[in-house]
Amino acid sequence: MSISKESKHAFDAAPWSGKTKRYDIVKEGTIALAVVAIFALFLSLLMGSPDETPLTFKGWAVSNPDNFYATTVQELAGTSGTATYGAPYNKGAEGLNVGPLWPQKWMGVTHPIDSVNDFVISPLSTQVMSTEIASAVATWKAAPDTQKQDWATAYDDAITKVEGKISDVPAGAYGPVPALAQGLTDMAKGGALDAALLSQGGFFQTDNTKQILFFGDGSYLDDAGTAANLQGGTWGMMNETGRYPGQAWLWLYSFWYQIPPFNNEESKPIGANADLYIMVLMGVMSAGLIFIPFIPGVKNLPMRIPIHRGIWRQYYDENGIKRRKK
Amino acid sequence: MTGWISEFMNHPATYLKIGWLQISVSNLLVILLMLATFALAVFLPFPKGHDDTQEPRT
Repeated sequence: MSISKESKHAFDAAPWSGKTKRYDIVKEGTIALAVVAIFALFLSLLMGSPDETPLTFKGWAVSNPDNFYATTVQELAGTSGTATYGAPYNKGAEGLNVGPLWPQKWMGVTHPIDSVNDFVISPLSTQVMSTEIASAVATWKAAPDTQKQDWATAYDDAITKVEGKISDVPAGAYGPVPALAQGLTDMAKGGALDAALLSQGGFFQTDNTKQILFFGDGSYLDDAGTAANLQGGTWGMMNETGRYPGQAWLWLYSFWYQIPPFNNEESKPIGANADLYIMVLMGVMSAGLIFIPFIPGVKNLPMRIPIHRGIWRQYYDENGIKRRKK
Repeated sequence: MTGWISEFMNHPATYLKIGWLQISVSNLLVILLMLATFALAVFLPFPKGHDDTQEPRT
């Protein structure tokens, strides 16, 4: 007996007329929770957790002192990633936009960070300074803003010209900037900068924003991310350090970063604002998922791909509905 | 946590790369396990023999 497509669809849409069974969803949920908890506990005991060596300013300054030094100069010159980021940290840029939407700018500076004082001058001032460093800090503080900018920019440009090799930088009118950068590099090498940055927020400090931003301005964090396959351009959003599985459910979010124009920062407007475009795109797609029952065409997909007839095949077989055309 | 499994897990992962697609073996295993679980949920028959079923409504 052959049943028409319309009849099958009408049968699918009709109320269930097969056998029923008492179902205790609380009992079912409790069993599922217990099974998952036992499974998670067992795997945790067996495999442990990701155990990477912590990234510290000491590690950075010891392993790559020139890069730390050059990054410090960028913080003073206002050319670092943090200094030019914009909201929520400062007004260095207007931030990302999608057409007329400028959410970053609209939210404003809610977590102010002054890269000069927060990253360099304040940490240096927390320690007992040598005469040279104390004199450099005093000179810096006493100078007018334009003078500070001239010193730091001149030194930053000079470092860029010699591709970051500090010993090759020619002499120039850099004011106290070299002494400040050397002072902070020495402080970091001794391990004092890690504690000084962490202590800026209060006694019980859990806000690591400043450390993360400072790390992000140099190559230390970036290199560590590359080594662990955590870069966004190589599906890093899905990955975890070591051989641990990562966030596989972020595959779609991560996917967009692999293809043009999202993977090209130079491409305007989409590539240059990729984070926001992808966020909006995923928001639209998530809304589409939520509203599947209301979207014409998409809402009929279960009829076209009748997986439910496979799950409840006995019921369909008993009612003479074949699951597959022969 | 120490032990050979923990040490094994904290070594750099192996990645499979095909063009722009790159995935760690660990993530691939998890995804395959999820797909296998879904396939089992679809194809395994419902358990029978319980006495708390009720006959079809008329």
